[in-house]
Amino acid sequence: MQGKNTQNRGDLTYQCGFYFDKEKCVGCRACEVACQIWNDSIQTVKWRSVTSIIRGKYPEITSVNVSLACMHCGDALCIKACPREALSKKEETGIVILDQEKCVGCMLCLWACPFGAPRLGVKGKMEKCDFCDERPPGMKRACEEICPTEAIISGRVGELSQLAKQNVSERLFHEKAPGVILGHENDE
Amino acid sequence: MICPWHCATEVFVRDDKVIYTRGNENAANKSTRCVKGVASVHLARDPDRLLHPMKRNTKGNFDRISWDDAFSIIAERLQKIKDQDGPEAVAYFWHLDSNPMFSFQLFTQLYGTPNWSGHGAACDQDRRLASLTVYGHPLPTKDFLHSRFVMLWGADPFGSNESLFENRELMTVLKRGAKLVVVDPVRTRTAERAHLWLPIKPGTDGALALAMAYRIVETQSYDQAFCEKYVYGFEQFAEHIQSKGYTPEWAEGITGIARETIIDLADEFARTKPAVMDGLKGLVNYSNGLDAFRTIYILNAITANVDGPGNLILKEIAPLGMPIQIPEEEMVTPGRPGLSEAMGYPLAPDIPTQLLPRAVIEKEPYPVKAAFFHIINPAMSDPNTRLFEEMMSKLELSVTIDLYMTEIAQLSEIVLPGASCYEEAQVREGLWSGPQVILAPPAISCRGESKPIYEIMKGLAQKLGYGKYFEWDTWEDWARRTTENLPVSFEELKEKGVWQGELRYHKFKEEGFQTPSGKIEAFSETFQTNGYEPLPVFTEAERVKPDSEYPFQLVNGKMQFHCNVHTQNNPYLMQIEGENWAELNPKDADGLGISDGDRIEVASPLAKASISVRVRDEVQPGLLKVIHGHGFGRRFGSIARGKGTHINPIFDTRVNPVSGGIGYNECKVKIRKIEGI
Repeated sequence: MQGKNTQNRGDLTYQCGFYFDKEKCVGCRACEVACQIWNDSIQTVKWRSVTSIIRGKYPEITSVNVSLACMHCGDALCIKACPREALSKKEETGIVILDQEKCVGCMLCLWACPFGAPRLGVKGKMEKCDFCDERPPGMKRACEEICPTEAIISGRVGELSQLAKQNVSERLFHEKAPGVILGHENDE
Repeated sequence: MICPWHCATEVFVRDDKVIYTRGNENAANKSTRCVKGVASVHLARDPDRLLHPMKRNTKGNFDRISWDDAFSIIAERLQKIKDQDGPEAVAYFWHLDSNPMFSFQLFTQLYGTPNWSGHGAACDQDRRLASLTVYGHPLPTKDFLHSRFVMLWGADPFGSNESLFENRELMTVLKRGAKLVVVDPVRTRTAERAHLWLPIKPGTDGALALAMAYRIVETQSYDQAFCEKYVYGFEQFAEHIQSKGYTPEWAEGITGIARETIIDLADEFARTKPAVMDGLKGLVNYSNGLDAFRTIYILNAITANVDGPGNLILKEIAPLGMPIQIPEEEMVTPGRPGLSEAMGYPLAPDIPTQLLPRAVIEKEPYPVKAAFFHIINPAMSDPNTRLFEEMMSKLELSVTIDLYMTEIAQLSEIVLPGASCYEEAQVREGLWSGPQVILAPPAISCRGESKPIYEIMKGLAQKLGYGKYFEWDTWEDWARRTTENLPVSFEELKEKGVWQGELRYHKFKEEGFQTPSGKIEAFSETFQTNGYEPLPVFTEAERVKPDSEYPFQLVNGKMQFHCNVHTQNNPYLMQIEGENWAELNPKDADGLGISDGDRIEVASPLAKASISVRVRDEVQPGLLKVIHGHGFGRRFGSIARGKGTHINPIFDTRVNPVSGGIGYNECKVKIRKIEGI
């Protein structure tokens, strides 16, 4: 079943997902709590969580904050891993949906997931982000609308890719010395 | 009820229950909300809320009483105190109140006490006084969206989730390549984002600011035309910093920041326009923070970075009216000066609450017999909180209006249940840079017998004989009155929840500055008249510095996920961080045999406390950073109780000179590991 229709389309620009800007995230965790409260009736463990990593010795310190939930992957490994066919992609949005009726909480989806997104809920079933399923596409997800710095953006991947380009262009527009920002991240 | 920022909010309700909340899309914050804001839905459902008025009996237990009895007892006692000691013997304090005008009008204009005050002494007191002195404006905001250079001193807007629209705009300009400099001995959430983080020696910000001014004066990189036209006393200021020798070399020895860095920074600040400099608690917490602030505000001024795009904005206030109409001849003029002035702090914007125990216990400067606390909890949040416990037993009348059985409520004789922000109407000025009025109708009905603050004031006013002024059937009657001068209909305001006017820049070009000279004041004659330094100076005369017995400088911090002492019964927030902690640099920790997660005893000359420690490279060696807010003892709420450490008893009562603010960081401590836990 899974992915059958979507593969026929030839491209994945209709696929919905999240764009996350690590430069904007300050680790405030409003997204976590908005997700919890909006999905209060079905969420028993956090579907979205923020990880902060801080490294270095005073005063030379670097850090990053990352807000992660299910990425609704184009080629979702969790779907292939699930022995119960509890996971599937929604045809019109490509988001990965977990059927709690079929799930037995075996956690194979978690083993397969590169992001550690699915979690075992208190009811013994796996739980994960359902992309605020009752919100129509085009409307902001709870994590997205709450984010004080607008670090999370949801949408179709085609639009998100355009947005990422727009962000870089904005900086070039304002930056007098573009060479400085066009270097590679690992350049010394 | 969660934070003094009172962001415009959209509330989702089902079956008279709040199910979700987000920012109001029509306001500057858009749909965004901070973690405390979104978690605040719990306020409306918390079973630990106060639901009935109560009075403490002679055994010290609380008995349920009726609202009518509560109002009668309070009114009778207030009448007696007024007759015997005058209305000034009553003090009213508030913090998280969106409609503070009701208590202001009742207690100040009708009853006649000048002692009505917010929580400023524990908050932005020195910032407010510095801004009033230099710009004639109490609460400047920031227009980050157009800035090219931003310098923040002891301020962590990202960490504490302050004005969300400002944070969003700051992030936006950083993405566009604006430069951010953060001065802070701790690498805060905001310092994380900075291009340049300057871990300054604590309490020396004033020296750095003066040295930057020195360089700008020396190189004549100030805006001469602007200074001539708009800055009062610029010549004296320039002469003063040069004659005092506030050079970058001088500052290097004090601040620990290299002379070259100071010079580069001053040059870059002077040539990059638009720019903005501001600060907050990291300066206010020191006895010399006021002059650091004045210097920072003068730096904005001499580079012509005031009230323009990308600058500090002298926020325009919307024409909100008072809810109660009182004929002028009925308004009372207090016979005695307010406590601030009588205590020797005539310029203090808010009453120095840390001195309230002295007024009650020692009757200095004059006796205070009654105190009201509306969602303010000095028994948790002021320094030397044990003194407050003694104070409360000496009052003839003590009343707390709150949502919870807070520490100050437990010490009060009468406790009144207030409504939460979801159950009462709110009409208030917002903190957007232009004029902004937020109108929030009640979203759900009141829990138990709790009442909105305006109904509590009305009930009390009726018993005091002022009932004729507090006439309304529903909240809409008074809300209409307060908003009648706005260029928007009440219906539209109610529908949208917010009105925002135009963000006007450079208003001073037509209107001048609200200072005695009508200009920005680098030299303050008001200060001179009151016997203070008319020009900002750097002094460490009142600084409490570490010594051989108490080798660590204590600095205060706030938690990103909690608001002061108000949110510790919130399960969503407590799930993120359930207790407060101290932070220590690994170098210091190693020397004391302390590891991450250990419990330590922190001792000041005044008292000791036990707290868990996190070993962090973000903290400058020689410092102990403590996060305040947790550590509720007896009741408050089932989730908050017993979690974390009440750290404030170790702080001595420190009063910042001139402003009367609380010098929370004027504290030296020694640390030892607690074994066997």
